[in-house]
Amino acid sequence: MFTAFEFMLPPFVASLLLLLITAYFGIHVIKREIIFIDIALAQIAALGSAVTLVINNLGSGPSSHAHEHDSRTLMAYAFCLLAAGVFTILKNKRIKIPMEAIIGIAYAVATTTAVIILDKGAGSDVHIHDMLAGTILWVTWQHVLRLSIVVLLIGGFHFCLREKFKKVTLGYLDKNIEVARSGLWDFLFYFTFGIMIVEAVSIGGILTVFAFLIIPASVSALFAERWTTRILIGLAAGFIATLGGLWLSWTRDLPSSPAIVMFLGVCLLLAIIIKGLIRLKT
Amino acid sequence: MTDNLLFLSAPITVCILLSGVLSYFGNHILSRGIIFIDIAVAQIAALGTMTGLLLGYAEESAGVQVISYAVTIIIISLFALTKFSKQVIPQEAIIGIIYCVALALAMLLADRIPGGGNFISKTITGNILWVTWDKIFSCFIMFLLIGIIHLIFWKHFILISDTKNGLPYSLWKTRMYELIFYITFGIVIVKAVAVGGIFLVFILLIAPTSAATLFTDKWKNRFIWSWVIGIIGSISGMYISYVLNISNGPAIVTLLGTLVFVLAFVRLVMHKIQTVKS
Repeated sequence: MFTAFEFMLPPFVASLLLLLITAYFGIHVIKREIIFIDIALAQIAALGSAVTLVINNLGSGPSSHAHEHDSRTLMAYAFCLLAAGVFTILKNKRIKIPMEAIIGIAYAVATTTAVIILDKGAGSDVHIHDMLAGTILWVTWQHVLRLSIVVLLIGGFHFCLREKFKKVTLGYLDKNIEVARSGLWDFLFYFTFGIMIVEAVSIGGILTVFAFLIIPASVSALFAERWTTRILIGLAAGFIATLGGLWLSWTRDLPSSPAIVMFLGVCLLLAIIIKGLIRLKT
Repeated sequence: MTDNLLFLSAPITVCILLSGVLSYFGNHILSRGIIFIDIAVAQIAALGTMTGLLLGYAEESAGVQVISYAVTIIIISLFALTKFSKQVIPQEAIIGIIYCVALALAMLLADRIPGGGNFISKTITGNILWVTWDKIFSCFIMFLLIGIIHLIFWKHFILISDTKNGLPYSLWKTRMYELIFYITFGIVIVKAVAVGGIFLVFILLIAPTSAATLFTDKWKNRFIWSWVIGIIGSISGMYISYVLNISNGPAIVTLLGTLVFVLAFVRLVMHKIQTVKS
């Protein structure tokens, strides 16, 4: 039993850290109706890595691998920066198509460009599967430390400027709210969000991070309006789902990310039933 | 050259067919803001296929296809019922939830089917080069039937797509039209994804209509322009893929997607020039 506990502790702590920040970002994402942004940004970052791979191959050949890893992360960040810039510029009254459509097209183009660049590289299927499912079970304390620093920095930044970010997000759909220099805040939002996604996806995989973003925020949308309350409700739902998912994954020998996502889905279902019962009573 | 033309004639025909029907649906999808619905539907169809395999039917047998369509239609009907007069959770978020739960289920099932992992990534690529005339014909018949249904109800569909707040009709009347719309849409997507793969279908849905909507608001103009852009775009994509020797699906996707970004920036620059002049 002790080994199970010891083995499961780092993934559990990592999941909670992820939840801490995704429960907050999820509210933004749902209010802005940019649901699939996490998948798109993850794919754009992956395209950045693919480009580095090609540039390195064109260059001096087998260079040092440690250095290559750094340059790939850097390029992934650079592509996120670029995407943040494009999304900010295209958020304009003149552009009448929804932001989600632009995000979707960026996603499709990034994915297929990566396919063209790597052109059926050996084991690309495995890579796709790994990116989707993630490898949260193999998280080490070192990863957890790195993640907690990122969460602390980005979370702190957003906590200090929370009123600004809130206003910009509310102004997204409601045209009556005018925010001074909304472009700058938009850019900062997308950029910090992008960094968070790159770090989170490398630990949890696209699927888990996506579920963490959308489902807790949806659960909380059913019961509350205030942001603090919503974050707390989202955290609670995520906490239960992670606990259940990891336990099921350990006892039944199932892949952990899908198990956690299934539990989150069950949480949402329960929340909808509870909401229905409350409505029936009143 | 003529050999190549003969070889490419089937894929080009299917491209024209797909852009025709998908650009039409795309205008509705864009107006409703449920962009990723096709990826979710494709994922559910894949889940249906895997369920069929688990029940012991052979791959690509009639049994598997029936189960796949049945699962898709059930889920998309449930989705049509999530339309409320006051939307607490946006419909796009519901799509996201359906997508990730379906994907998670597929991953859990994949462990139990030999080579099951393939079904998760198989639907992603797709290849229109290997399409046969038989398949094209069956697509054509199906699209024709669905086109007739849409010809009957087009006014209601457009009214529902245009209504952003609240509902145009009473709750259940709206939901009934929604049901017709989404079931026909689901069938088209399952058929189209089997032929072209998720990304080609996705971009043919969203990109032509986005490009058209940048410049015009009227439904009629949007339909015409999205058809023109979709068909020309996919044929030029085929040509580019042939000349540069890259896969055709990704070539079309990249071409049409990049076009939208370029046009969006053109639109912004046009506006800047106008304001400077006046």
